[in-house]
Parts: sequence; structure tokens; C-alpha cells
Amino acid sequence: MMQIGPHLETLTHRLADTPVEFLAEPRIAGVANAQAVAVAALVNDILLLHGARAPAASLQGFIGAQVKADRNRLALAMIVCWLLADDWFTGQQLPQHDLLQVLGEAARELAASTPAHQFTQDPERREELARIVLARLGFRPRDESVAQATDRLSAISGTERRRLLEASRLAEQRAREIREALAKKAAEESADKWSRE
Amino acid sequence: MTLAGKPDVNLPGGAWESDRDYCPTLTPAGARMLEKLRGHPCAPVYRNRSGNKLQAAEVAALHAYEREVMDAVVAWSAAAPPSWLPDFLKVTYATVPYYRACGSPPARLADVAPISRAELAHDIAAFVPDDADLARMINFQTTGTTGHPLLIASHPLVAGRYLAFHKRALRRFGVTLRHGAGQVGVMLLGHQRRCFTYVSVTPTMDESGLAKINLHPDDWRQAEDRARYLDAMAPELIAGDPISFAELLTLPMTHKPAALMSVSMMLLPGMRARLEQRFGCPVLDIYSLNEVGPVAVYDEQAGGHVLLQHRLYVEILDSAGQPVPDGARGEITVTGGFNFCLPLVRYRTGDYASLAHGPHGPVLVGLAGRSPLRYRTVNGEWINNIDITHALKPLAIALFGVHQHGDGSVALRLAPGAMPQADRARALLAPFFGAIAVETLLAEDKIIQYTSDLQEAAV
Repeated sequence: MMQIGPHLETLTHRLADTPVEFLAEPRIAGVANAQAVAVAALVNDILLLHGARAPAASLQGFIGAQVKADRNRLALAMIVCWLLADDWFTGQQLPQHDLLQVLGEAARELAASTPAHQFTQDPERREELARIVLARLGFRPRDESVAQATDRLSAISGTERRRLLEASRLAEQRAREIREALAKKAAEESADKWSRE
Repeated sequence: MTLAGKPDVNLPGGAWESDRDYCPTLTPAGARMLEKLRGHPCAPVYRNRSGNKLQAAEVAALHAYEREVMDAVVAWSAAAPPSWLPDFLKVTYATVPYYRACGSPPARLADVAPISRAELAHDIAAFVPDDADLARMINFQTTGTTGHPLLIASHPLVAGRYLAFHKRALRRFGVTLRHGAGQVGVMLLGHQRRCFTYVSVTPTMDESGLAKINLHPDDWRQAEDRARYLDAMAPELIAGDPISFAELLTLPMTHKPAALMSVSMMLLPGMRARLEQRFGCPVLDIYSLNEVGPVAVYDEQAGGHVLLQHRLYVEILDSAGQPVPDGARGEITVTGGFNFCLPLVRYRTGDYASLAHGPHGPVLVGLAGRSPLRYRTVNGEWINNIDITHALKPLAIALFGVHQHGDGSVALRLAPGAMPQADRARALLAPFFGAIAVETLLAEDKIIQYTSDLQEAAV
């Protein structure tokens, strides 16, 4: 975060104004949707905007294979593409490796627990995404010191991550309880149905 | 001891003391109904315990739900899907772990990747919403014919809701259920070597009686008791599958129920005609699945199975997951449903039909279980398995299987009771296959009806 970036508000506004094309469905193998976006191609376009050329192998991770594993991550990668197409970012001509790291790893981490579109709809999540993208690329918001930027990022991100970790723990516990609740009921002792399928 | 103070020979452990565990709103009148069902001298051996598990407030809620179901209009189309769909998707993606992991709710239902039995079988917990009450949760188990055993999360209210859809189906045939206190409402029939059997009461019908019985002679003191018991209990409705109905036809019972309700397997028109003639009442063919409940009822005037649920959206998908046009066959895929413990989004049922819209609302045409197969005829042409179903329609058979061997020869399997119709079956299939083998089918439960060893058989 040693370099000075744009005003945070310009990025959060850009996220709030994300065009519907970037909120569309990512293309995933086996899902019949002719309008779905080929995220690997979109990522390649963003790399080109930054003057970078990526070998096909580095785009493999943006080809959706499974809905549960890839849909949310790729949906967020599309939103990050929109953010990285901002004039300020393209003016930096960022290195391919850094761009791929943000679009790949950062999107994967954030998408693990938050629906992608919340990063455009919810003010706190917009700020979180903007701060994380800046930080991963080595920038901090204009008018913030390194210490301020670090504090705010860890505050907004840390609180959310703790909340999500707790939610994840509770979800796992509940799944266990559901399995136990179902397993201990003897089959068909359950309740009357007026027919048996 | 019974409530009446007499020793009871027909109660598995627990007896009266635990009847209230199974029927929490049980009154003395309801208890007398249970005693009537169990204590009759011709009663079968009741091997199990079960009940409605409904609490008082839930009984009231079921009355309201029934009114909603009876008044509802099912009139959507692919061009104008039901208005509840967007909210349903939003809530499901927010509260169901499997869908939450998939990210934001999709803008259109068509953007959702369909799921199948395999996903539910892998981990049913991921499909149960956050707000489902685990303390009241019950399960329904199904083995099915697809190799994926399923444990379905459910709730006593959900089980209680079945009756509302059955009443909607019965209304199409002019039948209004009227039974109440002191009367037996429904007998559920099985005909298997081992069968879960029990008695209960239906609180929304003033604690009328409900019994699940097994027509297999092993469950009775004397085989003749079966007809005597059915006559004595005089159930207003008899529900079963074609196998148990085939057995019912052999009994000299005189009681005429208001209707027969067939579920779980294909009911051939010949069988339906025999049942209608024998019992002088409508015979309903209900398309029902453990995962979804009663989906549709066959109505000849409508040209197929008329949908029963007002909050169930049905699509017909091809093998790639694309919706097919109205009139084209594909896999029945459902969204919504009345089981709030298992909201379904584009669930592929494994059953096939085409969809038509008309004055009866959406209708499933040419419903058949499992994926379609084609069969090579003696002329080297290919016919669909639905053609075989059509050809066998005149037969009054409960269950059959058709298998084509690798050399093209065809074997028809019929239940032992249907073997006298073997010659007619041969004649009906001769135009397609010439001479065929007719074998005895020994399976007592669902079977995979159409099978083939030919690689080109998959459609």
C-alpha cells in the first residue's frame, strides 16, 4: 500500500454502477445458458486493456466447471474486471501477474462466503472490495496514510471475516444436526401421508 | 391394556400410553377409532407405530391451507411464469446452504443449473433451509429405481398437506370426502412380503381412521379376513399402487369406496377400467414423488396429468438442461413445492412427459417414469418405449418390464397374477417384435420398467 491510488469513493461509486452485463451469469460447463459470459475471455480483455498478454494456461482458472465451486467466484471476478477497467487502473498499466492474482485469488477468497453481487449492492462490501483490490495491487486510497488505510482495511475486512467464520462454523454444526435429526427417525415412523409414493 | 380395560393383542410395545406421541391431539373419540381399527376380530397384524404428529395449532393451519389449495388457480405458462417465482428464488438462495454457496440469486430461473436425485442423495442437509425446525423434522425414505437412495427432510405439516392436494384431485372427479368421527377415512394398501403397517387418525377430518395395511396373507390370521376387514371398516377412500390393487381385485369384498387412488407406478388404462368396473367408483392415477408430493392427477378429458400444486412450477428439459417447446418430450423438472423443509429449484425428477396448456391449466402429456429408451423392431426400425406403453394399454396388468437383449430379442416380464394375459400381450407386441418371451416377474416393488442391452437404445 505504499503507492497512492484514486479516491476510494470513485471506486465504490463505480461498483455501485456496475452495468448489468457484468452482473450476468458466468459461463459454466453443463449449464445451458446462451447468454452466459465467458469469464476467461473477459479477463483476457482486461489484461489487454492493461497492455498485458496472458498465456492460455493462466486463464484456465476462469473457465467454469462446476456451479457450486465456480459460479460465485466467477461472478465476482466479472465485477472485479469492471473495477479494473476503470480509467485510473488502466492508466497504471498494471502487471499481468498482479491482475491475475486479484482476479483469481482475491476473488476466490472473498467469494467463499459472500454472494458476489453484494459487493455492488452493499456499501460496506463495496468499500471492502475496493480496499482489497487496491491493497493487493500495492495502492492505498488517496488522502489516507498507510496506517489509516491498513487500519480501515483490517477493520472492515476483519470484522466481516470473523462474522463469516462464525457463520460458517454454525452452518457446519447445523448440517450435522440435520443429518443426526434425520438419521435417528426410523423410516416411515414419521407421520401420516395419505399416500405412499 | 386398552382404554376400555381389555387386554389388547394387537399392539406392539408402547400401546395406548404412546398413542399420544404419534397423535398429539388424540381425544377419547380418536382413541376409540384406533381401538376399532386394531381390535376388530379380522384385523391384520399391525407391525408398526406411526401417526400424524400434528399439534393443535397445526391442525388449524391445515384447514386454512386446504382452503387455499382448493381455491387456487394453476394457470401459468413458460411465457408468464407464476408471480411467486422471483421471491422464491431470492429466499432460497439466502436461506438454503447449497444455493447460498452458489452466490447471488439468479435473475432468471433459466440461469439455475438443474439438480437431480444424486445431489439430494449426496447431502440432504445442504438443501434444508436455515429456518427449518429440527425438533419437528421427520423423514421420508425412498429407494427409487435410480440407484440413489434418498432421505427426504419433511415435517408433520407437510405430510398433513397431502390430503389437501388429494381432495383437489378428487374434486375433478366429483368426489368430496365426507367421513368424520367414528368412520374410517382411508386405507393405504401394500402388497409386499414385508410392509410397514399401522393405524392412525386424521385430525383435520374429525379424527377419522387411517390404516396402512398389507394385503399379503402373511399379515392376516386368515386370508379371508382381508375382505371381511375391509368391509367392516368401510374406508371412504382406498389408496395403493397397481400391485396392491391387482390383489384387491381378487378379494370378495362388497364395500364400495368413494374412490380409489393409485400412486407410485404407472396405472395402465386396462387396469383402471377393471378397477372402475369392479368398485363402481373413480380410480385416480396420481403422479406423486417423495421429493415433491402429489404433482398431478390423470384426467382423460384434459389429455394427461393435470397439475395439482399452485406453488410448483414445472419445466420440461432436454438432456442438456434446455427447456423444450410445449408439446416436446423431456424430463419433468420442478421448482417450488409445499415441503418447506426442502424447497426445490429446477429439480430433475427422472420422469418424462411433454407439457401442454389448455382450459385445465398445465397438463403433463404422456407421462412415463425414467428416461426414454428406444427398441429395435423386427424390421430394424426404432420405436420409443412410450409406443410399447400404448400397445399394452388394453391389458389389465399392474406391473410389467420390457427388456431387449443384445441380439434384439425381447422379453416381457409380467407379475404372476398377470400371466393369464401373456398370450394377449404377445399378440399386442407381435407387430413390433414378432415372437417374444414372456417371463414371470418376481419383484414386489418398483422396477425399472424399460431396459435394453443395445447400446443404441438411449434416446
